[in-house]
Amino acid sequence: MPAVLGFEGSANKIGVGVVRDGTVLANPRRTYVTPPGTGFLPGDTARHHRAVILDLLQEALTEAGLTSQDIDCIAYTKGPGMGAPLVSVAVVARTVAQLWNKPLLGVNHCIGHIEMGRLITGATSPTVLYVSGGNTQVIAYSEHRYRIFGETIDIAVGNCLDRFARVLKISNDPSPGYNIEQMAKRGKKLVELPYTVKGMDVSFSGILSFIEDAAQRMLATGECTPEDLCFSLQETVFAMLVEITERAMAHCGSQEALIVGGVGCNLRLQEMMETMCQERGARLFATDERFCIDNGAMIAQAGWEMFRAGHRTPLSDSGITQRYRTDEVEVTWRD
Amino acid sequence: RSGGGFEMGSEADGGGAVRAVHEGTGAVHIVVGAPGGPGESRDPGVPGGPGGPRDPGDPSNPGIEGEAGAASGGVPTLTVPFPSPMEAEIAHRFLTPNARLRGPVQKELSVNGSVLTVRWRAEDPRLLRISIISFLDQLSLVMRTMRRFGPPVSR
Repeated sequence: MPAVLGFEGSANKIGVGVVRDGTVLANPRRTYVTPPGTGFLPGDTARHHRAVILDLLQEALTEAGLTSQDIDCIAYTKGPGMGAPLVSVAVVARTVAQLWNKPLLGVNHCIGHIEMGRLITGATSPTVLYVSGGNTQVIAYSEHRYRIFGETIDIAVGNCLDRFARVLKISNDPSPGYNIEQMAKRGKKLVELPYTVKGMDVSFSGILSFIEDAAQRMLATGECTPEDLCFSLQETVFAMLVEITERAMAHCGSQEALIVGGVGCNLRLQEMMETMCQERGARLFATDERFCIDNGAMIAQAGWEMFRAGHRTPLSDSGITQRYRTDEVEVTWRD
Repeated sequence: RSGGGFEMGSEADGGGAVRAVHEGTGAVHIVVGAPGGPGESRDPGVPGGPGGPRDPGDPSNPGIEGEAGAASGGVPTLTVPFPSPMEAEIAHRFLTPNARLRGPVQKELSVNGSVLTVRWRAEDPRLLRISIISFLDQLSLVMRTMRRFGPPVSR
């Protein structure tokens, strides 16, 4: 019955979680929120994480009702993500692993999302749409790898939404995506935006430049409201995501779809995916904001799977890496 | 000499050496601009300077000439005493994986008893400064973690 402690801090969320045998015992998290019109920079984000991580660790242990000796393994995000925040978190993970004499496990952040999605929803072998501020991938499991079927060829969908929020100076609290979603509900007019699906892949940098430019013009002339732009952006980018997910599902003959990642909290995206799934006779799975947004327990859960399958990360290999493809990991814990 | 201050070395003391001395566990000594033998000229284009014995990390070695700071060829060195050899070794081990990143700045960590020593190698003083600051941030985090979740369990 291994209990695993997981550390996550690859972007502006820092979380420490405890998982034992498929139960989440603790999952506290803090978010580094910057003023409207700004984004988060690596150095400042790392500083935020360093300031709160030890308190979070204590909180996690207390909430789980465990002592350091009850923990069997320390998992941390090896990558992908932003360098300085990843390093700050890895340093603490390594330190406590040494202090408590526990094995260490470097986890791929994307796989953390997938494994938590599978655990929480019970989906057996879904086509996964992983969408967040840093990543946009369509993934399916095959022969010991999480294979990437389609992805963004430039920026992530969440990054597109976050940067658009900056242009309109939308608040980053609790997250820019959440506030865009609320504004979009009040939008009435669909503004035509470039739709960029390229085969199995998508591209968002073009739509971002277009809408950044259009926003200035159209808001000045009163041609549309900020709510209309939020609505139009969501409708367009989400339709693109639904298309590439459907394409992958058709290739795999898959009857299950799972959405993970921070953008997966968006109810409009879930609604559009649900419509597509119903049309195909497939089932849609999604998690709530506790687990779609970056959190420590998802790293602990992936770590738990890896630990039981015998993976270990030696200290000499326990660095971080900003680029870490989902398909680089050998998924020995599944058939 | 009281704790908690910075001390600039005088010309006689090997001008350009900067020392930071703090009270308490983890007092940190920084020497920037490695002292060389007497008469050694500092030529930024020539790493290591022409001839002369090198003695990195020894602030009392007289005879530094040329510019202060991390001119190329300097081996800036940080020494950190820990309360025990085990803690120094732990700090050494979990700061090492980050140290081995390739790039314009390289760090070399070593442990001797309870003292951790870090040596930098960098051409660009700005990158060197960023690396030192970032290392100190990480070190501070490690020490806070050890203080809060230590001491190390017996093996």
